[in-house]
Amino acid sequence: MNPELYILWATAIATLGIYTILYRENPISRLFEHIFVGLSAGYLVASTWTLNLEGKWWRPMVTERHWYWIFAPIVGLLFYFIYSRRLVWLARLVMGLFFGTAAGYLFREFFPIYSPQLYACFKPLRPGAGLGWAVLNNWLFVIIVLTVMTYFFFSIPHEGRIGRPLGRSSLLGRWFLMIAFGAMFGNTVMARMSLFIGRVRFLLTDWLGHYLPWLAGRGL
Amino acid sequence: MQPPPISFWHRAQQIPRHYIYLLLAAVVVWQLLFPIRLPIAPSVATRGVYDAIAAVPDDQLILISTDWDASTEAETAPQTQTVIEACFQLKKRFCIMNLSPPMGVKLAHDIAQKTAARYGASYGVDWCNWGYKYGYDNVLMAIAKNIPKAIGGDFYGKPVSSLPMMEGVKDVKSIGLVVEITGLSGLTEMWIGLIQGPYRVPFASAYTAVMAPGYYPFLDSGQIKGMLVGAKGAAEMEVLVKRPGKATDIMNVQSWAHVLIIALILVGNAGYVLARVRAGGRER
Repeated sequence: MNPELYILWATAIATLGIYTILYRENPISRLFEHIFVGLSAGYLVASTWTLNLEGKWWRPMVTERHWYWIFAPIVGLLFYFIYSRRLVWLARLVMGLFFGTAAGYLFREFFPIYSPQLYACFKPLRPGAGLGWAVLNNWLFVIIVLTVMTYFFFSIPHEGRIGRPLGRSSLLGRWFLMIAFGAMFGNTVMARMSLFIGRVRFLLTDWLGHYLPWLAGRGL
Repeated sequence: MQPPPISFWHRAQQIPRHYIYLLLAAVVVWQLLFPIRLPIAPSVATRGVYDAIAAVPDDQLILISTDWDASTEAETAPQTQTVIEACFQLKKRFCIMNLSPPMGVKLAHDIAQKTAARYGASYGVDWCNWGYKYGYDNVLMAIAKNIPKAIGGDFYGKPVSSLPMMEGVKDVKSIGLVVEITGLSGLTEMWIGLIQGPYRVPFASAYTAVMAPGYYPFLDSGQIKGMLVGAKGAAEMEVLVKRPGKATDIMNVQSWAHVLIIALILVGNAGYVLARVRAGGRER
């Protein structure tokens, strides 16, 4: 049999096996779940070696005589001193190094990421020539930004002369947040449906369509 | 004493989930086999991706970062397909790259290879694959300064500097657009923080529908030139490249599946309201 056919059948059986979970928790779906997790982990280990470590670390060290690369795994192994009470400071040393690097990166990335969004919050609110609906949109944008920000402002109790309007604005902000969460949930449903349709499409055209040309010819 | 009979409206709130799954599967199969096509109109966000590709000068490259794997293939593969299709149609040279997960580089390579064959494009001249590069931020910072040194070997292990299309490519100034196709959050921030922001390299993206809402602020601020949202974005892009394919099929089926889901939500909620109204009436 053509090796491609083995792959086709394995993919189809795995897809159906995983979907048996829809009926109830069962050993078949568990089996395919474990196969999937095992394959992913194995692929990651193999690809880390072949696509990364071999070319970037092993080959330079062994064939190009860049001997100092030997220190890289030694430094990495220091992480394991976290299990030793006496030598835990060695693990903290490398952790500190990583924290410092990550903090530096974050600091560098923060302004290019967020400052343009801050500027973008300042939108023209006065109706001018040719703006029309855009002004309405801008008003909506600014109102939503302000009310949602008041929702996350906890320093003043929502009562009294100043607090009460803040509370009302915060309530409106909560409504806007709920609408946003609804949109996000709608998108999640769409994403999950896409994955499901993708699998059904595979089962119908690639798998069954291989034996029933009528299915493959349905314009799919 | 016998328990009171369960009303129709109570039952409407408790449809067994197996029936719902079966109904959904039936609608999906029905629409895949006997499609009733609905129109697809490209959105402003999708058009932004196409326009950004078209605007790349001929002496610059497009960098497509394909950071996805089999788990999101139904959405990200058609997105990759349409972006590559647009590059070939508009005669723009592009490079594929992958930061994570490593599987994405092979899946995207297969798509590019098949599409290139259709357009008569050759590897190393019209497109190339820089391969999987581990290191996230470090890779991007290195690319910004020296591309041949940062990338080293391509997908086949050949030095990228030996490819004809890479002649004269030195640093980030040689890149006219970055297109990030991903199912992972966090990578866009990295591209914007280290490449788009500091070096003003135009940036476009394609996301799974789940993660897309979080990136609309970037689109609004102009940091992202255009955005493909899930299979919907890919279907809209298929309209722009005039080549309906997998995404168009998926979106057509999806629209009908959504009609069913909306109908079920309405039935469930109507059941809830009417059951309460009836119960209230009896109490009075």
